[in-house]
Amino acid sequence: MLWRTLQALFWGLGVLGGLGAVFWWVEAARGWLGPVIVGLGVVYAVNVVVMPGWRYRVHRWETTDDAVYALEGWLTKKWQIVPLSRIQSIDTESGPLQQMLGIATVKVTTASSEGKISIEGLDAGVARETVDRLREVTAATPGDAT
Amino acid sequence: MSGDDGWRRLSVRVVYMDLIRAAFSCAVGYLGAVAFNDDGPVWALVAGSLAGFLGALLDLVRWMTTRYRVSAAAVEMRSGWAAKRHRTVARDRIRTVDSSAKLVPRLFRLRVMHIGSGEQASSFTLNALDSGHAARLRRELLPSAWDEAAAGEVLEDGADPAVEGDNREAGASHAAAGENPEAGASHAATGGEREAGAGHAADGEGRTAGAGGEPREIGARAAGGRGEGGGRGVGREVIARLRWGWVPLNAVSVWGPVVVVGPVFALYWFLRPFGVDLLGVGRELSGWDSRSLVWNLVLCAVILYPFGVVGSAVSFVVENWGFELAREGDALVTRRGLLTTRTLQRDDRRMRGLAFREPLVWRWLRLAETSVVTTGLRQTVDAPSGAILPRLRLSEAREIAGRLLPDGRRPLEAELVPHPLGALRRRLGWAISGPVVASVVLLFFDGWFWPLALVPVTLVLAVVAYRSLGHALDGPYLVVRRGALSRNTVALQHGAVIGWTLRQSLLQRWGGRMTVGIATAAGERHYQAPDMGVEQALVFISGATPELAARFIEGGGGAAPGRHPALRVCTRSDVRAST
Repeated sequence: MLWRTLQALFWGLGVLGGLGAVFWWVEAARGWLGPVIVGLGVVYAVNVVVMPGWRYRVHRWETTDDAVYALEGWLTKKWQIVPLSRIQSIDTESGPLQQMLGIATVKVTTASSEGKISIEGLDAGVARETVDRLREVTAATPGDAT
Repeated sequence: MSGDDGWRRLSVRVVYMDLIRAAFSCAVGYLGAVAFNDDGPVWALVAGSLAGFLGALLDLVRWMTTRYRVSAAAVEMRSGWAAKRHRTVARDRIRTVDSSAKLVPRLFRLRVMHIGSGEQASSFTLNALDSGHAARLRRELLPSAWDEAAAGEVLEDGADPAVEGDNREAGASHAAAGENPEAGASHAATGGEREAGAGHAADGEGRTAGAGGEPREIGARAAGGRGEGGGRGVGREVIARLRWGWVPLNAVSVWGPVVVVGPVFALYWFLRPFGVDLLGVGRELSGWDSRSLVWNLVLCAVILYPFGVVGSAVSFVVENWGFELAREGDALVTRRGLLTTRTLQRDDRRMRGLAFREPLVWRWLRLAETSVVTTGLRQTVDAPSGAILPRLRLSEAREIAGRLLPDGRRPLEAELVPHPLGALRRRLGWAISGPVVASVVLLFFDGWFWPLALVPVTLVLAVVAYRSLGHALDGPYLVVRRGALSRNTVALQHGAVIGWTLRQSLLQRWGGRMTVGIATAAGERHYQAPDMGVEQALVFISGATPELAARFIEGGGGAAPGRHPALRVCTRSDVRAST
């Protein structure tokens, strides 16, 4: 459970950093955006405190022998279903912070921009296992050439 | 160069190239900082050299970290140092293997390989391999294409190396089309369509494609002319021909005056060197200065409108002269054009459905534009969104559309199920909140009441938008309709669905609604049915893809009466993954 907190911190740092940068520039430029900044600050604070945990609790995924199924989001939930026979490519990505935390993102791409699933924040080992399994099953499932 | 487990690196020549680039950048930087340092360094040169040096360094890092592997089942690529990336594509998904080279890499005999699998962008880009390894990779991936590819390679190497720019070899990708006709043709098809658009006879294109496989396998190919296209006349049945009654339907448009503005300005600039001030003459004739701006604009529109209508009528006739839509064997063929004859062939096997487009004004006039939903055709200027018929009366369009699909069904006329009333409330909410927010923002300025004055319009639009929402299942087709300003009805074969995306915002969750996204490889590649009832949505999905849905939806498909269908909960969450 350690990386969950760290991921929250990652989100928090990113957002606060962005906000700080905005604040710095805006203060130098114009004063009348003050209330907007305060409002944004509150929104971001809620975002930092509530969002990571919420997203984490919602996020679920599953691979079966013929499909990938994932649920993500917090205010807006998103379910995605993609049959394995339609998968074009499988990606594993991990940025610097994700590498530090030993997690990775698995992305499954199809011929449609909408049919792209990304499963974020998986344990690197689990991600590797999943990709290996997906690769085997995908190679065994004939594509139907859409 | 092969490492452990068959992992291979990019060509070592990339390193030499980068070292030379870095050295060159340093030399330029030296010139900028020291040699030309009469009154301060030349900053442009220094910055350029720094950018070049950094680029070369990054390229070196890329060379060091990139590995690729071709195994029996898949092609894989690993890259990245800070942000790692590992990509896998199954071998039988690969459709095209192209290579390209720019001027400097060509001198090093380097090729950039693009491996495509029918995604919108190419799946892999290996930048760069030396030509020997490039040929080997192509041989491995597309064994049957090797002969043509080799021929292309020889040709290319013999060509003048000073040719600049992206010089893609078409040979390999066309050969790929031959080996895997179903989808490889996507490349050939777009090529064919481009040829058709340019009005070429497409002789060479036809021959290259023919070398890889039987010409009939290529989806939309530019037939060299009427002779070739009509020559195979197997079971030819003309579905529609140009009628003169269509001309006024397509000529009248809100944008009529705009059509004229371009030519008028062109004429103005053309006459100016001869001392004729066309706009000045027009200003005097119309007495521009004696009226206010609004009246002048109205006057302009009134004067220009007839010209605009005539202009669009003429261009419509020129483009659609001799328009003919016919079914030849198992393909739909359209021919049209006065100055250049455009022939477009659409194979039934690539056809996935039909669509109607009805912008608001046309809908009141009962007009619709028909298009076909196909895979493998890129959206081009010549055939925007697969439009197959010009603007027609709805009844006529329906009659023709009923004869377009190979199975003779008429899914676009299916009775649509309306979406729940919550969808109407949501749209009304947007219609009121949008202008209110706009006026609050405008409180700081003048004219805060203008957005509020728009509320009646937006309310009407909201109702229109709600009334156009609808969905249905009709035999092997699913039908969805949406849109306020432009109402679009799409009928799509169940088999063309390559995934579902269900979205539910907080308000939709309370209201029991969800937005269903349909991913497909055909047409716009993505269609949406906003604000369906949750139960409606799940029944819809179960009806369209029963096997897939059975795993994710409980109590769907009418198997268990009395039970409400619901999305099953995924089994894996990150809790298990991390402990």
